[in-house]
Amino acid sequence: MSNPLVVGISDMKLSTRPEDVIATYSLGSCLGVTVYDPRARIGGMVHCLLPSAASARERARRNPFMFVNTGVAMTVHRLVDLGADKRRLVFKAAGGANMRDDRLFETGVRNFQALMRLLERNGRRLAARDVGGTIPRTLFLYLHTGRVVVRSLGKESEL
Amino acid sequence: MSRRDAILAACGSVVAMPTCVRGAGVLMNAPDADFAGLARIIEHDPGLTANLLKVVNASVPPSGVPVLTARAALETLDSVESLRFFVSTGVAPHYVCAIEGYDQAPEMFLQHSVTVGVASRELARALGIDAPDHVYTAGLLSGVGKLLLGAYVQVDLGEILRLVFDGGMAFDAAEQAVLGISHAELGSIVLDRWGVPGPVTRVVRHHLRPNGYAGRDVVLDLVHVGNVLAKMIGVGLGADGLNYEVSTGAVGRLGVTSAVLDRVAADVVVALDGLRDLFLACADGGCRE
Repeated sequence: MSNPLVVGISDMKLSTRPEDVIATYSLGSCLGVTVYDPRARIGGMVHCLLPSAASARERARRNPFMFVNTGVAMTVHRLVDLGADKRRLVFKAAGGANMRDDRLFETGVRNFQALMRLLERNGRRLAARDVGGTIPRTLFLYLHTGRVVVRSLGKESEL
Repeated sequence: MSRRDAILAACGSVVAMPTCVRGAGVLMNAPDADFAGLARIIEHDPGLTANLLKVVNASVPPSGVPVLTARAALETLDSVESLRFFVSTGVAPHYVCAIEGYDQAPEMFLQHSVTVGVASRELARALGIDAPDHVYTAGLLSGVGKLLLGAYVQVDLGEILRLVFDGGMAFDAAEQAVLGISHAELGSIVLDRWGVPGPVTRVVRHHLRPNGYAGRDVVLDLVHVGNVLAKMIGVGLGADGLNYEVSTGAVGRLGVTSAVLDRVAADVVVALDGLRDLFLACADGGCRE
């Protein structure tokens, strides 16, 4: 694999080059979302820290990718600007883990709920997911095929 | 000899923690090294901080008060030359190539340790708590037991993870079951032997289960929640992942809500941006040479 484009926390990367791979490491409670147009072979990945920008509008203005609701929407917007067709976009998600038996914060749960609310509001569905539990995850998107791979504890699985 | 005793014996002979910063030795010996640059590396590296606290507290600090933070230790040294003298007497960097048993590269351990320290400090700020200065150092050092186990002990990660996923145990409880000791207890024992002061070793010992400490220590509670937050943010996670319990006692004593935690998470990610160059320098080269 060539050097991947690395997505940091509260960050997004997209590419129009089929030979590119986009990756994000160490997803804990954060949610990694891949968005891909299979015909145009354009895709992006966003790594969101928190569910909603509702209580932090100024922060969301400075960095929309920190939040699921603004980050995923902005990723779609940028991909459409590059020539992707909104109706063809395929969404997949990984991450959203929680601390063991956590009923206090549930950040991973809230992040995933925010994504599902956003997709539902826009009449879109999630094609695949590997979310929840207590494991760390690394997420890859291969631009050539749109293949999405999750690596955790040394094992890889395709989404 | 029990597994626990063997581990304590192996780690009892360790004279200096390994560093996670690959270039630390080179930088310390560089003729044009500046004090502020060296101080910044030491202050954010768990191994170098532990070694410095050991050396500084072994002599009588000028104030007569135990030194609890790398910054306070560095303030007692006023030049690159005196810093080099201390380096030659026990702070010498010895780079660790892999933290075996935790599936964690050294640069990931460094990033995670720094994130715990930053999260503990930012949490105090968000809650309006006037926390003692050693909150960052205690958070930074909270995981040094992993560094010791990873560098000097053959840890069977598979057996620990089996207990975690099949036996429903928290990671530290599984460590206890397999090794006879958790990384939290091991780290505190070694630091205590080195003369690192009690307010720091107490946090290292109990940071995963703060209710195990009979007294009340706000730094302990802050580092417990700071560690939880660092794991949720995910920076530098190892194979232990998020397999630890959240103490409702510590959360309640501090008055942390999910809204507060979200705000602090955002603050921590922004604060870490200022340390990105240090992380990149640490990752550069690694052990691939």
